[in-house]
Amino acid sequence: MLGYAVRRSVVALGLVWVVATLVFLVIHLIPGDPAELLLSQGGFAPDPAAVAELRTQLGLDRPLPVQYGSYIGGLLHGDLGHSLLDEHPVAEEIALRLPRTLELIAAAALLAVVFGLPLGTLAALRAGGPADRALSVLAGVSMSVPVFVVGTLVVLVFAQKLRWVSAGGFTPFSRDPLEHLALLAMPAATIALGLAAVVFRMTRSSILEVLGRDYVRTAMAKGVAPLRIVVHHVIRNALIPVVTVLALHLGTLLGGTVLVEYVFNWPGLSGYLVNAVEARDYPEVMGIVLVISVLFVLLNLAVDLLYALLDPRVRHA
Amino acid sequence: MERRDLHRLAVPLAVVGGIVALAAAAPLLPLADPVHIEVSARLTPPSEGHWLGQDEYGRDVLSRAIWGARASLAVSFLAAAIAGIAGTALGLLGGYFRGVVEILTVRSAEAVLCFPPLLLALLVVTLLGPGAGTLIVALSILYAPSYARVAYAETLAARNLDYVVAQEALGARSGRILLRTVLPNVAPPLLVQFSLTVASAMVLESGLSFLGLGVVPPEPSWGLMIRGARSTMDQAPWLLLWPCLALTGTIVALNMLCDALRDVLDPRGRTVSANPFRAFVSGLLPATEPAPAPPALLRVDGLHLAIGHGPGALPAVRDVSLAVAPGETLAVVGESGSGKTLTGLAILGLLPPVVRVTGGRILYTGRDGTTVDLARLGEPALRRLRGDELSMVFQDPSASLNPVHRVGDQVAETIRAHRDLSAAEARRRAVALLDRVGLPDAARRARAYPHELSGGQRQRAVIAAAIANGPRLLIADEPTTALDVTIQAQILELMAGLKAQAGGMGLIFVTHNLAVVSEIADRVVVMYVGEVVEEGPVAEVFGSPRHPYTAALVASVPEGDDDRLSAIPGVVPPLHDLPAGCRFAPRCGLAEPACTAGAPALESLGGGRSTRCRRWREVA
Ligand code: SF4
Repeated sequence: MLGYAVRRSVVALGLVWVVATLVFLVIHLIPGDPAELLLSQGGFAPDPAAVAELRTQLGLDRPLPVQYGSYIGGLLHGDLGHSLLDEHPVAEEIALRLPRTLELIAAAALLAVVFGLPLGTLAALRAGGPADRALSVLAGVSMSVPVFVVGTLVVLVFAQKLRWVSAGGFTPFSRDPLEHLALLAMPAATIALGLAAVVFRMTRSSILEVLGRDYVRTAMAKGVAPLRIVVHHVIRNALIPVVTVLALHLGTLLGGTVLVEYVFNWPGLSGYLVNAVEARDYPEVMGIVLVISVLFVLLNLAVDLLYALLDPRVRHA
Repeated sequence: MERRDLHRLAVPLAVVGGIVALAAAAPLLPLADPVHIEVSARLTPPSEGHWLGQDEYGRDVLSRAIWGARASLAVSFLAAAIAGIAGTALGLLGGYFRGVVEILTVRSAEAVLCFPPLLLALLVVTLLGPGAGTLIVALSILYAPSYARVAYAETLAARNLDYVVAQEALGARSGRILLRTVLPNVAPPLLVQFSLTVASAMVLESGLSFLGLGVVPPEPSWGLMIRGARSTMDQAPWLLLWPCLALTGTIVALNMLCDALRDVLDPRGRTVSANPFRAFVSGLLPATEPAPAPPALLRVDGLHLAIGHGPGALPAVRDVSLAVAPGETLAVVGESGSGKTLTGLAILGLLPPVVRVTGGRILYTGRDGTTVDLARLGEPALRRLRGDELSMVFQDPSASLNPVHRVGDQVAETIRAHRDLSAAEARRRAVALLDRVGLPDAARRARAYPHELSGGQRQRAVIAAAIANGPRLLIADEPTTALDVTIQAQILELMAGLKAQAGGMGLIFVTHNLAVVSEIADRVVVMYVGEVVEEGPVAEVFGSPRHPYTAALVASVPEGDDDRLSAIPGVVPPLHDLPAGCRFAPRCGLAEPACTAGAPALESLGGGRSTRCRRWREVA
């Protein structure tokens, strides 16, 4: 197990490097000069002097390998560069906002698992029955509704019409834990709706598949009690693909919370990212993309390790 | 494609088609100008001229919803198509040339998958600025790798197909062959991929437009409409309704289409309901009937099994009777489809849910001396017997062991299901059992996972679990078939040895291997298409068969010890098309008109022998 963990970690480190390099290359090798692009908003040809100045400011006039070296060197020191607009260090802003985004994702994942897993198991054990059919249709629809539609409707109904909660925002946990959680609930539930549907579907099909396996029949032939068969033989094996799919979706959410944070005014990474994209503030966009992608890679590493923990065969692969 | 498939596809296809048609026809419809601003009429509710009302700039909502569909659909379909063509080409190239080309195409496309999708789209928007064109570029980049993967895998698979290899050997241009072979194969998965891509491209497009980073105002788009309506939702909440409904409805329809396509094109995903567990948890059969003439151990009387319900039910097993005495080994032989395995499963009450007992009795006399009918025993009572008094070993030991639990624990599980023991004590006994079935270094092997053992060792472990509680009857269903020949012999030896030690244990050995039968069994039952055709002591039945089928089986055994019962002319008739009269008649050299007129009965010949052939005296 340890050897496997080490091997996977090395691969993940390599991927982190690949991601960092890709981010660097995207900005430096795409056709067109970023400085020129940045200044050419509004359809006017930019002033060459201004472009040259910006190039120097961005360090774009240095040879590529030198730029790459200082970029990687900066990363190793946790330096993600500075905003073009206000010189604010990108790393600092990310450090402030990232935990809020992660909290939102974690809360959504928790809700999704709490609802999706038991309901998926139930539907599989009663496959074809009325409960299964109703749940499957419900899941199909929940998966299809875009998250910002759900969010907007949630705000309309619960905040505007019923006035149960305020329309969104954020209160630090340290200031008022209850209000913090109350404000977390709406965006988390919005994300969780679609995610729970994914967990539900995956759990259902995975359990159905495992139920047909020979070792389940063998366990029955041993006279093992039904509940123990479900818990001990079925769920653990069925969980393996569920974990993978859930993690994949969580990774997608790292970028996908943008919409929900926007709808609910949740001050995570997204507001920052959307503003940066609108202003074409390269260092900010690069920094956020890099951090999230690295998290994405690390998440996949965590999944691989969890996978190995659940399935002893993987450790030797 | 079956009609049922067409039905499944019809509804989502019609909905998606309708939406596409409506969007395509937008310029022809008598719609208001979607970008015409009329500030004085802002937020007016539905009226005669504006069926769905007017938005925050007084623009016509109906017109914007239909024109908005154009934008969403155009972006999604174009992006999906570009991604599909580019990705498929990359995958084909990578799979065909391998090596460096593979790295340049498939592997580098996969680098895209290192980034969360929405984030990558935002990155592209940063570089190119918002707009429909940017969206198409971003979404194409995003989705091309998935196509590349599918095409790559199919190309690799096609490369190894026999006829591709053969044609290449004949000097044909392999590129063209590959294209001809691969494209039809990749078409179905790519079609599914395409509809998936359209649906998720639409979600992303509307999301980006909603953020103000997609379609540029004043062009209509559903995402933009929701964005606009959101800002005025306290005054005019109904404006949210239409774009939300349109967007969600379209995506639901697209997803339904994906599901239907996947089911139709990939029938593997369809086998959902056939799991024995449902019968297991819900199956409470009627109460026990009084049993006449109790057997010493087990007697199956006139057992009938049917697959399915109603008039379409297939007679899988008909009128099967057999008996096992304590300490006796009964072999049940027959080709696949003879019903031998189902008969074994019926004894333990482990039939798949589609198979029902439609007649007969399975009388079993237990340790406490009472006789029960296993065919009518309730599930809780059956469960107490299974693994304790009645045990079963299945064909494939690798599939019979749960891959995520240690071998020793799986043996201990049988003990703890029936005996009130501490975990440590059960584990100690499991090690002793593994030692008894000849697993070297049992204490260490008990802690191993199934994949760490060889096939033979796994079957030993499965047998250890089966005999853990000293069962009175052990049913072994082809326990050596999945193993190679030398291991087969060892397992047979083990089973014979265990039976000798256990004294009174009865053994039912289900197999198609006659050599194994003569080695291990006292008596044999020969089955053919769900019926017993001959029964008797092994030496006599094989020495002088009294049924043409048995005779043919015996004659087909080659000199070696690996026989496959394949040399009998003709084929086993399918259950839905059984011949009238004697079921063996179409393959029987002795068949006469009387044989097909009426089904022969099982005739007792004395000396424990019986046969289901009217001309048994003439069987050489
Ligand atoms: S009954 Fe007739 S057809 Fe059937 S096995 Fe005997 S001889 Fe052949």
